[in-house]
This record gives sequence, C-alpha cells and structure tokens, in this order.
Amino acid sequence: MELTLAQVRKIDVVSDTVLYPEATALVKQLIEDEECNALPSSQISGLLSIAGANTYTELYRFVLHQRDRNWTASKMDIKKFYTALEKYLSDMVRQRVKAEFRLIPEGLDAKQTKQMTEALMAVLAQDFIQHFVAENNQRAAYVSRRR
Amino acid sequence: MSKDDKTTSKDNKTNNDSKGINKDMRRIREISIQAETLYEDAVGLGNHAAYAFKDLSRSKRNSHRSQMTGLENIAESGLKTSDIFDYIKKQIARFDYWRKGFPGNQDPNEGFGEALKSFLEGEVKRRRDRICKALDIGDVTDEDKYKRQQVYLQLIRQFIRQLVVQYEYCTSQEEVRENGANVGTGTQNRRSK
Repeated sequence: MELTLAQVRKIDVVSDTVLYPEATALVKQLIEDEECNALPSSQISGLLSIAGANTYTELYRFVLHQRDRNWTASKMDIKKFYTALEKYLSDMVRQRVKAEFRLIPEGLDAKQTKQMTEALMAVLAQDFIQHFVAENNQRAAYVSRRR
Repeated sequence: MSKDDKTTSKDNKTNNDSKGINKDMRRIREISIQAETLYEDAVGLGNHAAYAFKDLSRSKRNSHRSQMTGLENIAESGLKTSDIFDYIKKQIARFDYWRKGFPGNQDPNEGFGEALKSFLEGEVKRRRDRICKALDIGDVTDEDKYKRQQVYLQLIRQFIRQLVVQYEYCTSQEEVRENGANVGTGTQNRRSK
C-alpha cells in the first residue's frame, strides 16, 4: 500500500520529534542505567539490513527471533536490547500509530487498516532503528576509548 | 460570471499569491537574520574542525575535506533534522578525529562532532523557536509542525554552510603557511650549499 505525501511528511515530523529522542533515550537507558554493553557491530549489520530491505513483519520476526535465542551468559545484553526493541515496536503498532500519531485515515476496513499499518510501520521502524543504531555506535566509540 | 467578477477573483488570487510570497520572503529573511547572528559560532566550529583534522598527512587531509563535503551534502539533502544528527553520530563513531577536542573551547575535551551536535540541538533549536514565534508558527497542527521542521532544517543548512566555508578558509591558510615555510627551508638549504 502506497503512502500519501501527507503521511510521508507526517512520518518525517514524527521521526524528528518522537522517534529520535525516544531512540536516544532507550539506548542511554540500556547502556548507562542498565549497564549493558553496546550492541555489537555484527548485530547492527543484521538489524540494519533487515530494516532497510524487508517488510515490517519480517523485521519484527527477526527481532523476536533474536530476543528468544538462547544467548550465552556473556551475551545476555544482546537479549536485553532485543527485548527493549520488541516492546517498543509492539507498543507502537498496538497503541501509537493510530491513536497518537494519527497516521491511519478514517473509513478503512480491517484488512485495509492492517495493510496500512504494515506500510507505515516499515518506515517508522526503519527510522527508529536508524536513530537507535546511530546512538548505540556513538556510545560504543566513547566506551571503547575509555577502555 | 460577469467580467467584473472574473477580475475580482483574479485580483484575490493575486493577493493570496503575494501574501504567500510575502510569508515565504519573511521566513527566508528571519532565517537569514538568525543565521547571521550564529556566524561567530560557525567560525568557532569551523576552526575546531580544522584543528581536529590538522595533524594529518597531506593525502589524508583530502579525505577529510570529503568529510566536510559529506556533512554539507547530508545537511542539504536530508529531509529530517535527525538524518543530520544520525550522520554526525555515525562519524563520531567511525573516526577518532571527530572526537578530538579544541584547546580554545570552554570544554577543551569536547570533541568536534559532539560540540557540533550539541550546538545544533541546543542553540540552533532555540533560534528555530524564536523564528517560529515571530512568524506565528505553532506546534499543534500537522502543517505547523512541518513548517517548524523546515525552518529548523534551513537554519541548520545555513549554519553548516558557514562552518564549512570557515573550515576551508582555515585549512587553506594553514597550507599557505606550510608552503611558505617549505619555500623558506628550500632557500635556506640552497644558501647553505
């Protein structure tokens, strides 16, 4: 389903005013408050390529899969990252796309709403992950310098 | 519709168009005024960039010039301010010279990328708010939110243009000094022979 120019503009505004500060805050919470290691570059590459080239359903499936893997004790921080990411994305689908961002037009039936949500989430999730990765990588660079 | 009606409607259209143009002109003017007042800060950050990239061999320096071009490109082509901030973060992560401080600064340990990002997210954003207040652009309707974003983007673009010009100026001055020093050394060498 194609997005309208108005929707694309609105997503750009949401990306700047909501997704960017929230992605920054989420990474800060994980690395500073919960003292997780930054997400390693191998995970970053996978996440970026899935977010950029696939549908939202496939991206969400990837995040779920990574969250539910049996990570070794030394890699439990990766699980924490994917747990936080899954929660953020599913909250956005359930509550925010329609009610808060008001991106779904009135008068669509259930099937159309589902298709529209899928199309919107593909862009919103990609933007969120771009912001998330940028903050993660910046923090990783400073941490590695301190070490 | 009578001929008079047609004329009136055309006049209204012309008035509306000129109002639109006036609004656009006012916005451009306000942005230029605010960008002008940020000139000294752009010079400061341009000097910081030139210092951070200074201790490099001549061949590497060209690749660092492309860093500045890259910054200018993302500012000119980015559709969102967060595209620019993400780019800066990416460069901070990838290159240690984006993390290099500047002795003349209030915080000499703050790296170039961090200083630039803080300034854009802080002072430039405040200037955006000032412009929007002067132009009666609110932050409730979708249209106003979009206009705010565009004002912010245009302000950042002008600021980065100024910064890059200062960086280029500083680097070229440095090269002139180096060439002068080399010429001097050459003459001295010839004389001592």
